[in-house]
Amino acid sequence: MADIEDTHFETGDSGASATYPMQCSALRKNGFVMLKGRPCKIVEMSTSKTGKHGHAKVHLVGIDIFTGKKYEDICPSTHNMDVPHVKREDYQLTDISDDGYLCLMADNGDLREDLKVPEGEVGLQLRAEYDSGKDILCTVLKSCGEEVVIAVKTNTALDK
Amino acid sequence: MAEQIINEMENAANIITAPPNLVTDDQRRAAETIFLSFRKTKSPYNICKQILETSNVPFVLFETAEVLKNALIREWAFIPETNIVALRQYLMQYVIFKEGLPYYVQERILQVIAIMVKRASVDDFGQERSNILKEIENLILNCSHEKKMIGCSLILCMLQEYETSIKSTDVGLPWEVHFKAKKHFEATDMKRIFQFCIPLLSELVKNDIPFEKNLYDLMLKLLEITSTILTWGYISPLCPKKLIGVYESIYESSNPPLLRLSMLWKDVIFSSEFLPLMFQIYWKVRDQEALAHYALTCLVQLASLNGSIMGDDDLRIQYFTTYMENFLKLTNSVNIRNKESIGISNIVRKLQLYFARDLQKIPKNIQESFLDDITRITCFFVEGAAKEEMDDDKYYVEALENMLEAWTSILQEFIPDSENAVLNAATQIFNSYLKCHIGPPDGCRSIREEPEEIEDNEDNDRIKFRDQLQVIGMIGRTILRHSLPLLFGLLEDRIIKLRAMLHVMQNQALTLNDAATLDNIFEDIHWTILIAGHTLCMDNEGETPLIPSEIMQYSLEQCNKEEVTIEDTLLFLASIQQIGVEVDSANKCDHALRIFSDILKLCSLETSAAEAKLGHFMSPEVGCTLMWFLKRWCRSFLLPMEPLYHEISPTIVRCLGDDTEGASFVVNYILSKIQSNICHFGSEPVLLKDTVELFADIVCFKEKSVYIVKTEGLWNLVNLQSKLNAASLPPNVRRGLYKGFVKAGASLLNPQEANEYFRQIFKPLQSRFKGLLSQENFNRIYQEEKVRKEVLDILECFVGVAKGAQMATVQIIFDYIAPVLSELPVFIQLYHNYQVIVQLILELFGQTAKYMLCFLGHLDSKRLYEFTLATIQAYAKCNANRFTSEVFQEESSYQDLLLVLELLIMILTKDCLDFSSQVLVEEVTVSAVDVALFGLNFVMPLMTLDLLKYPSLCAQYYKLIVLISDIHPDKVCTLPEPMLTALLNSVRLGITSGFGNDIVQHCLDFIQALAGHVFDNQDTRKVAYSLLEPFLKLLLDLTLTHELSSDVMVFASTAIYSLICCYKDRYRSIVEELIQTQPDPLVADRLAAAFTQLTNNVSLTSERWPKLKFRDNFDKFIANVHGFLLVK
Repeated sequence: MADIEDTHFETGDSGASATYPMQCSALRKNGFVMLKGRPCKIVEMSTSKTGKHGHAKVHLVGIDIFTGKKYEDICPSTHNMDVPHVKREDYQLTDISDDGYLCLMADNGDLREDLKVPEGEVGLQLRAEYDSGKDILCTVLKSCGEEVVIAVKTNTALDK
Repeated sequence: MAEQIINEMENAANIITAPPNLVTDDQRRAAETIFLSFRKTKSPYNICKQILETSNVPFVLFETAEVLKNALIREWAFIPETNIVALRQYLMQYVIFKEGLPYYVQERILQVIAIMVKRASVDDFGQERSNILKEIENLILNCSHEKKMIGCSLILCMLQEYETSIKSTDVGLPWEVHFKAKKHFEATDMKRIFQFCIPLLSELVKNDIPFEKNLYDLMLKLLEITSTILTWGYISPLCPKKLIGVYESIYESSNPPLLRLSMLWKDVIFSSEFLPLMFQIYWKVRDQEALAHYALTCLVQLASLNGSIMGDDDLRIQYFTTYMENFLKLTNSVNIRNKESIGISNIVRKLQLYFARDLQKIPKNIQESFLDDITRITCFFVEGAAKEEMDDDKYYVEALENMLEAWTSILQEFIPDSENAVLNAATQIFNSYLKCHIGPPDGCRSIREEPEEIEDNEDNDRIKFRDQLQVIGMIGRTILRHSLPLLFGLLEDRIIKLRAMLHVMQNQALTLNDAATLDNIFEDIHWTILIAGHTLCMDNEGETPLIPSEIMQYSLEQCNKEEVTIEDTLLFLASIQQIGVEVDSANKCDHALRIFSDILKLCSLETSAAEAKLGHFMSPEVGCTLMWFLKRWCRSFLLPMEPLYHEISPTIVRCLGDDTEGASFVVNYILSKIQSNICHFGSEPVLLKDTVELFADIVCFKEKSVYIVKTEGLWNLVNLQSKLNAASLPPNVRRGLYKGFVKAGASLLNPQEANEYFRQIFKPLQSRFKGLLSQENFNRIYQEEKVRKEVLDILECFVGVAKGAQMATVQIIFDYIAPVLSELPVFIQLYHNYQVIVQLILELFGQTAKYMLCFLGHLDSKRLYEFTLATIQAYAKCNANRFTSEVFQEESSYQDLLLVLELLIMILTKDCLDFSSQVLVEEVTVSAVDVALFGLNFVMPLMTLDLLKYPSLCAQYYKLIVLISDIHPDKVCTLPEPMLTALLNSVRLGITSGFGNDIVQHCLDFIQALAGHVFDNQDTRKVAYSLLEPFLKLLLDLTLTHELSSDVMVFASTAIYSLICCYKDRYRSIVEELIQTQPDPLVADRLAAAFTQLTNNVSLTSERWPKLKFRDNFDKFIANVHGFLLVK
């Protein structure tokens, strides 16, 4: 288990770029974009122009998908913006190791044990639900080399 | 004892009025408590008198007046008449003789007196009031200045008390009683007051200006009284109260009512001195803003004189003539300032509105100088409005709009060729408007120094100046021989200049100077197109667009006089790509078509600039205006519907009619322009929106799109779809285009043709969708970026498809869309972590329900219901019991749920609106309301109180449940207990959580519908029966404690009535309990009597008639009970 810390780097899609370019005007609300070097979800998007016969500029407000911090940017609509590859996958929680690692099972049965119990309320909730023996789904958010459990969901019999 | 109270209050007042840093919060709170408890004092008259006598603290005096006012309103019916008279006389003496009383205390006491006068007049038919008026008149005529002012203020307070109508329950009078008192006052003392003021004013006005202080003050009060009477709101007894309320709060807040007087007023209004006096006053005081305001208001009102007083023709003409003479004298002797421009323009507008028919009957010279004068004034306002564009105050803009409104009526009554004066006026106004919007040297538009930041959600010019432009267009149509050449001359000149600029830019960099020149050319073009668009075409919201008859006549005339030829017109149209070359055909081209060709030339220029990589120099604003013009033009001129015209110009028919080369050229040209905009201007969202709108618009007239579907241009646009890169377009472009494709297909009446058409449109989409699903590894790769992009893009196309569906095409389309919908429950589960996809799925269902469901037969409806429910269920399953750390989670849930609720509402409307023609072949097993209820059941656990605080979500939720209960209360009553409990809890929440009156009203309607159903079925064993019962006490409590606003009282009363019908015993026990818990036996008695009155003669049968009777009783009950029941 000691070398798991090191394998962290291999979880990124090696060789693949973390972002791809997209024309600013083609972005959409609730989609993703890189603002100030951080992967963000676009929560507000508006256009304006300088002068009546000027060209469109896009005003973006985004929230960092990992930290929740707010970022803003304004850019001519013809320009390209970087869009992060964002993946949000659900895993079944099968175990929590003594040193705080989660044992997660993907839909196809693959197992992984490289993610820690997240900090904060989600972590607390996760532990509490796990301890009370509930069936737990974890949503793992992955982008720009970062990966973290951002949501937990308990399955009740009704959901089946 | 009294002394102690007064001391205590004075100390408290000092604390309250002290600066915040000198007293603590606790001290302040304690001080406030003293006044709060003072307000609750019963029969406070003696102590109030003592306070007024002994205290000198203004705050205490003010509070005392307030307490007196409330006590009088509350206890009026129980105070002996002699006491009232004594109290009123006392207050009167007090105000007159008490020295150093602050103004606001004095005003408050005068208001108390006025309320007393009004209340007393209800009982004695105004006898006492006329005595009091005599007293006041004496005060004004014979006493010192201070007393004169008190007299005037008291009159104003009285006017105010009688005038406020709908809010009259505030003075404790039921609506009917207030209404009677008001009518009586109007017929008697109001005229007396007016007659008293006029001679005084005529004396005052003889003084030199500026008036000295006392004169000024008195003049101000008298003018205020006069204008209050002239703006009096005469309400008709026939209108229902609610209607009057809406009228008063919405209409009259911006427009004073017109002046409607009875015959009784003849002697005052028609006296020969009256009108000249009013004009003289205005002329004299126009430098003093406050005085001028009231004086001008009077003049405006007098321009709207109406009512039985105007019954006699001679008198009316005499009045109108006098008014006109004086008005012209005024406008000819002054330069109109911005602040008076609105009043002056209102006078013209009202004269035109109410006296238009009399205009011909007054002396010719007055008519002529009136026309000259308003032309001059209009042109002056046009210039003023243009200069104001950068200011915050828009006096001239508003004044211009009033003048233009007057012109519409002048032009409507004008007979062509007969009146040169009107034509001259129209030419002058048209010229000056055009000039103010064109830059130098041709025009005088002021140049902006600094380019400003403009948000795209701001209104553009065609919205902002819509009203103005419509009238200018109308004016332009009366003088086509002048206006059209002016417009095409400008356009052609600017086209040449623009082309020259582009040439320069191709070879060298743009200098700052060039950029400014370019900007000016764009602005000139933009405004010329706007004016041309309004001159050539009319707005036709909801009507079949027609070529304006003036244009048709003009085109015919040009043709008949052989000023134009069809060949030359066609040649000119075909020459749109030859810019800068003198085209011989120009001189003999139909003028309307010449402008259109010029617009197409501009389109060509824009496209060729983009192709030469100069697109970034073009103006997206001008691009939008071009799209707007084409949309407007195509509606009426392209492929004109000949049967709708009794005369049609051969030029138009031969150039643009069915089966002409010209029409096919124009259609293909416009479609290629749409294509070019999409390819070249993908980064301009507003321009693309207008472009796509143009496309969706030209295909929506079946008579026209039957040609369009066969053109090469349309199939080029269809084929373009596969080449477009989804990632480089603004999101709405796809759906707009597909909406257009589908709409165009509706014109194909032959089923085979239609099937073939839609097959070609849908085939690429179908194969993309199948290709997606048939990938073996779809379950593994669905998360990949490019797969998600493909899903998004296909969904966008189908949303557009759903939006374009119509009755005729719904069946074909549903057959294509259903296989997609059937996969979406799985998709929403797969993609539940990707909000953009989740929302598009919900939106696709919502749009399908909105545009297609009402035409679907029951089997297809059932399929749609099933897919919808499965999708909502999958959505709910993925989101239930989920806990996340994402900060935008709440906002995301809000957006999703809003879409779900909108979808359910759309589904539910099927039960109200069903146009499907299919005959039932089997019994309907699932109805829309079941879907709505099941859907609601799925999402209710996700709706937290925090989410309900989003106003739009809240509104949709309550709209949905009230709609369900309205259509199917039976289904609601038979819901399983947990769901019904949850539903009713949300209703309770809706009433008590301060979500606003609309929500409360929905909830009350919900209760009423349910209670009505429970009553009809009398099944006391059902859960609904017991779950609904607590609402009876809740609603009674809320109304008695003033916690429901008076605006929803009428809904509360009908809900309460329905509940009483259901729960008679419970009602009795609640009433008894209420009465028994009153500590004061007198109050208990009155309460008991009030409750008896409430249900007196009202049968508890839950029928309409007794319900209405109960509603009226309840109104009185509330006014009565709030009088003596001090519940806070």
